[in-house]
Amino acid sequence: MDFYLGLLQIIGVHTLLGLSAYVVLLTGQVSLAQAGFMAIGAYVSAMLTVLAKWALVPALLTGGAAAAAVACLVGFPALRVRGLMLVVATLAFGEAVRLFFFNFDYQIAMGGIKVGPLGGEGFRQIRYFPENGWTTFQVMVFIWLTVGVVMTALWWMDRSRVGAVLRAVGEDEVAAQSAGLNLTAVKVSAMTLGGFIAGVAGGLYAHYTTHIEQGNFNVLVATFAIAYPILGGLSNVFGTLAAVVFIQGFLIEGLRFLGDWRNLLFGALIVLAMNVRPGGLLDAQTMSKGLSALRRLLDPAYGSAAARQAIDGLKDAGAMFRRLIAKWKGAFGA
Amino acid sequence: MLFIDLLQSIADGLLFGATYSLIGIGFTLVFGVMHKINMAYAAASVAGAYAGLTLLKLAGLPPLLVIIMACLAGAVFGLLTYVLCFWLIPLSHPLATLMSTVGMLLLIDEIVVHLTAGMPVNYPTVMGGMVSLGSFLLRGDLMFIFTIAVLAMAALMYLIYRTRLGLATRAVSQQPVAAQLCGMRLGQVNALTFTISGALGGIAGSLIGSAVGLLSPLLIAPLTVKGLIVTVIGGLGSIPGAIIAGLLVGAAENVFQFVRGVTERDIYVMLLLFVFLVFRPGGILGADPGRN
Repeated sequence: MDFYLGLLQIIGVHTLLGLSAYVVLLTGQVSLAQAGFMAIGAYVSAMLTVLAKWALVPALLTGGAAAAAVACLVGFPALRVRGLMLVVATLAFGEAVRLFFFNFDYQIAMGGIKVGPLGGEGFRQIRYFPENGWTTFQVMVFIWLTVGVVMTALWWMDRSRVGAVLRAVGEDEVAAQSAGLNLTAVKVSAMTLGGFIAGVAGGLYAHYTTHIEQGNFNVLVATFAIAYPILGGLSNVFGTLAAVVFIQGFLIEGLRFLGDWRNLLFGALIVLAMNVRPGGLLDAQTMSKGLSALRRLLDPAYGSAAARQAIDGLKDAGAMFRRLIAKWKGAFGA
Repeated sequence: MLFIDLLQSIADGLLFGATYSLIGIGFTLVFGVMHKINMAYAAASVAGAYAGLTLLKLAGLPPLLVIIMACLAGAVFGLLTYVLCFWLIPLSHPLATLMSTVGMLLLIDEIVVHLTAGMPVNYPTVMGGMVSLGSFLLRGDLMFIFTIAVLAMAALMYLIYRTRLGLATRAVSQQPVAAQLCGMRLGQVNALTFTISGALGGIAGSLIGSAVGLLSPLLIAPLTVKGLIVTVIGGLGSIPGAIIAGLLVGAAENVFQFVRGVTERDIYVMLLLFVFLVFRPGGILGADPGRN
């Protein structure tokens, strides 16, 4: 049971990470710095709860705010360049943050042992959850409450004027600019918001794993962050969630029985997915098709015939499956 | 003595920087013709070096030929990257090719880890020894690397600026539509560019292998980051820029290592990139800043 709770925690944190990249991607920017922002949030909030004995929620929010502030600062020089240059700039920044924490020592003696981040050894004893008697289930619920709040906020933002502004910049910068939008302000805001979400994700990650080190925030994590929204499609926040479940739940945990080969398949499946569906798994077209199919099914006048057909089809398949099982059992003499 | 040591580390860095130049050229070539980044490039280069070594052992050839073998294998990997990650994906989805090459990067990385069981492999050092010039010592293997890299760059320059194929490549990078109207096959030129950049990557991979003395999948990530930094500092799409930037990054890296130690070295290389982004966003020899 704990395994599945743990998996749900991972999926929750990675959904937040993917959403942080989603916001930035809406404006057409590819940011590989999300792992860096996550690291800042993780270290800041963990230091606040462990060394300064803060409560969890203010520590998480402060960690998010610290990551957001850094994201805002990075945004200005980095957003002078566009597209692929930004990919490289943010990649370099993320690595610089990781290397900073590789060299970062700040330890305080507490109750006989020294606690705090210690360079390459990382930051151990982030024991807020065990010390305060949280069960794994409660931690999982807390993480998913956060995910729920962030997803609802982004869903609402997407459908409001703010979302339209972000998408306008992402679709066509020149058109957006001539419509009177301040490109730098929009992009830096998106970067800041993304930084905040990534920072909160980092804080949650630090507290449920209880031990963080710089290697947890490497290029691979940054790649995952942008892979979720790109694979899921940018039409809405659920694409990101679907991609996280697909990658973390299916590709990483579900294929564990394949052993070593799982990792090989992982890269190959991404290549394949992008070849087959360049717009993402849940792109705008698929979403509208799916929605209209759903509407047709629910519409009594039109839907009843289609639904009856579908149910008949299912029944046929069920009967076939049963026959197959009966045959199989017969073959083994059961 | 300090001054001499500093000069020494600059010299070593410049010599090793030639391999960064080669990787940077590979990124920049592909960017030039397709306006896309091939994130799998450094991984394919390292894989080319591995495959070169395997071919060498299979054929029982002298160690010097490892570079040629790696060059051939790298060319194959370059073409493979094009076919798998670019060929079928429409150009109107810029994120899709970025993601597919990232997938390719992970795939190549895992194949290498899988086949070598994650252990570093010894790589033949083609030339050892030291050359002393007064109080300087120049490492023989680094000098050799530098020479081969310069030869490879010269061959590339000849190919790009003196042959019909190079003419086609340059035409496509300037105006793909016009080039197509003049009867050039875009797909063919793109595939050839990938093959050439892959061949250069194979050379770079084998040179790095012989300088470090071993090959490891751990080389892939830093090499990708450094190669991209070189490409941006040099100016996207500019081959001479990538050459200068590679030497610059190589030298700067060694100076930072000398001054601040190996663990902090790469932070300053990243900061160097940000200095360029702030003061010269187009790179050293970039065409126009912020071009997408």
